[in-house]
Amino acid sequence: MTALRRHWLETVAAVAVALSLFRSMTVAADVTQGDVQRIMYVHVPSAWLAFLAFAVTVVGSVGWLRTRDRRWDRLAASSAEIGVVFTGLAILAGMIWARPVWGQFWTWEPRLVTTALLFFIYLGYLALRRAVIDPEQRARRSAIMGIVAFIQIPIVYESVNWWRSLHQTSSRNSIDTPLRVTLLLGVVAFTFVYAALLQRRLELARLEEELEIRHLDSSPEVAGAGITAPALSTGEPR
Amino acid sequence: MNAASPLALLDDAGLRIGNTVIIRRAKLALTAGEKVGLLGPNGSGKTTVLRMLATLLPPTDGSGTVMGARLGTDAVYTVRSRIVMVGHLPALYPELTLAENTRFVARLSGRAPAVADEALTMVGLAGASQRRAAQSSKGMLRRAELARALILEPDLLLLDEAHAGLDAEAIGLVDALANRVVARGGAAVLVSHEPDRLVVDRSVRVVDGVLEAA
Amino acid sequence: MSFWRQVFEITRKDLLVESRTAEVVTMTAPFGAAALILIPLAIGTDAPLLSDLGPGLYWIVVLLFGMLVILRKSAVDGQPQRDLVRLLGIDPAARFAGAAIATSALIFTFELVLIPVLIVLYNPDFGSWPWLMLILPLVAIGMGLLGTIAGGVTTGLGTRVSLTPLLVVPLSLPLLLGATQALESLRLGRSILPWLVLLMAVDLALAVTGVLAARPLEEAVT
Repeated sequence: MTALRRHWLETVAAVAVALSLFRSMTVAADVTQGDVQRIMYVHVPSAWLAFLAFAVTVVGSVGWLRTRDRRWDRLAASSAEIGVVFTGLAILAGMIWARPVWGQFWTWEPRLVTTALLFFIYLGYLALRRAVIDPEQRARRSAIMGIVAFIQIPIVYESVNWWRSLHQTSSRNSIDTPLRVTLLLGVVAFTFVYAALLQRRLELARLEEELEIRHLDSSPEVAGAGITAPALSTGEPR
Repeated sequence: MNAASPLALLDDAGLRIGNTVIIRRAKLALTAGEKVGLLGPNGSGKTTVLRMLATLLPPTDGSGTVMGARLGTDAVYTVRSRIVMVGHLPALYPELTLAENTRFVARLSGRAPAVADEALTMVGLAGASQRRAAQSSKGMLRRAELARALILEPDLLLLDEAHAGLDAEAIGLVDALANRVVARGGAAVLVSHEPDRLVVDRSVRVVDGVLEAA
Repeated sequence: MSFWRQVFEITRKDLLVESRTAEVVTMTAPFGAAALILIPLAIGTDAPLLSDLGPGLYWIVVLLFGMLVILRKSAVDGQPQRDLVRLLGIDPAARFAGAAIATSALIFTFELVLIPVLIVLYNPDFGSWPWLMLILPLVAIGMGLLGTIAGGVTTGLGTRVSLTPLLVVPLSLPLLLGATQALESLRLGRSILPWLVLLMAVDLALAVTGVLAARPLEEAVT
């Protein structure tokens, strides 16, 4: 019983995904697009998660800047790692969907472009984190960059939207109600998956830090301790 | 300045960067009017202690105050302009001349550029002031940096590798500068690898990341 | 010492240092011009095509090569110099503003130098000239602000030359769209206003963010 309790989030996520998958496969196919449209039930929730994960990263960033508590930084970093995967998934699913339907891998519509840009923002954020050794500096620099990027995202989306409205004539398919329910189910399922992954990743990060602290306490080697008197000298004291 | 309260105080201050301990424990009380020598082997953390005293590095453990401002708080912003630190790498822009570099410092501290020129003369660089920093010798760069101490008239003078690259004349310059600061009621900390050249009131050693004031 | 006086001195110093190497004018701008010459050789020298694509290609060059201006040597401060400015009691926001203004001025210069190249090689239809003098600085300011923020975040990192472009370029999309669509609107006789508003909104958002982030960032880069 306790095992189930510990893993309740993962269990719920698994169940939700199963339900969502079942529903996605059995619901009526789209009239115009056919079965390939079902990939939307992966694409849209993934995209939703991509943005949710980044929002959580920004929340972590703000939280860290205000409290300097490492837990907020762990939240930001963990969410970004999960987010980048879902962003990639969203783009991939979008490409698989677009090709048979519109004849090309890429459609230049605002949501897809913004999602692609978010992918690069993630890559930059994670690359920045990897490049900084000192945890305090890493937390602060990435927090600032995360917030700067977050502020720009709505502007990016709107600007692509304006641009698109001037240039494109094709419009997205409107979504019928039964399909909308399935979509919602997918979003909920994916959110549970995200939460479960986040919980695990946070736990892992906490354990990693604990290990480092213990290692630090047991071997309090000072940085300069490795330097000893040279073996080679004139032997004359100064 | 109250003789009882220290100009700078490090109270079991420590510094960790990630998992690396640089300073384990530093205890130091710097009173107005004294010159202190900071000694220790390579890599012992002398520069780090100096930067902590300069308020540039807040301690990760313990605490400290410099001129009444607690390290790691915003209060340090009010005292920074009273500190001059001359590090072991020159804080000069290589493409600018010694004169331009020094005038930059004067301007940014709200003083007339002529003050900079005068300071350069006093350190013996009047004839070389038009040389670009990139083309100047280490000794010249050090003197130009010491000119900064003349311009800014600090209450706390921190000199890293105080005698590095300086000839006998210039070393006299270091001592004269330290004396000026101290005479005004300030304090000076000089890091050096040559303890016999140091003219200080007392010396403290950093050993194995620990600084216990003498 | 007043805030704006500090900003002025920092800008002045940055531009003075840059003037010694003249990196932007003598190296980066010719590089950009070379790129503009290479492009038609790759995509075709058909005059109407080039006239159509010209402005877009120009802005891409400004955006991407602007990174070299942001990463120029004279913008890199070593730790001793950073320590110096901190100890002089300079407001971090003033340091940010000073650096951003200097970078923006240099990007603007870069843009100006490339305009004649654009005209000669691509013969674009600008519609209305004077507006260009408003669009160019708005883009330059945006790039300067974004570049200074990203530069501040990557200070002292070994991989900053690769990392900074990755951070800047995706976020500069609104600047690209604003600039290209503004010119397009002029050409087609449509209202340029929405695009100018977009550029100004981006610049304002970046300026506010940069100023607010300046102090935490300075303390982060020890």
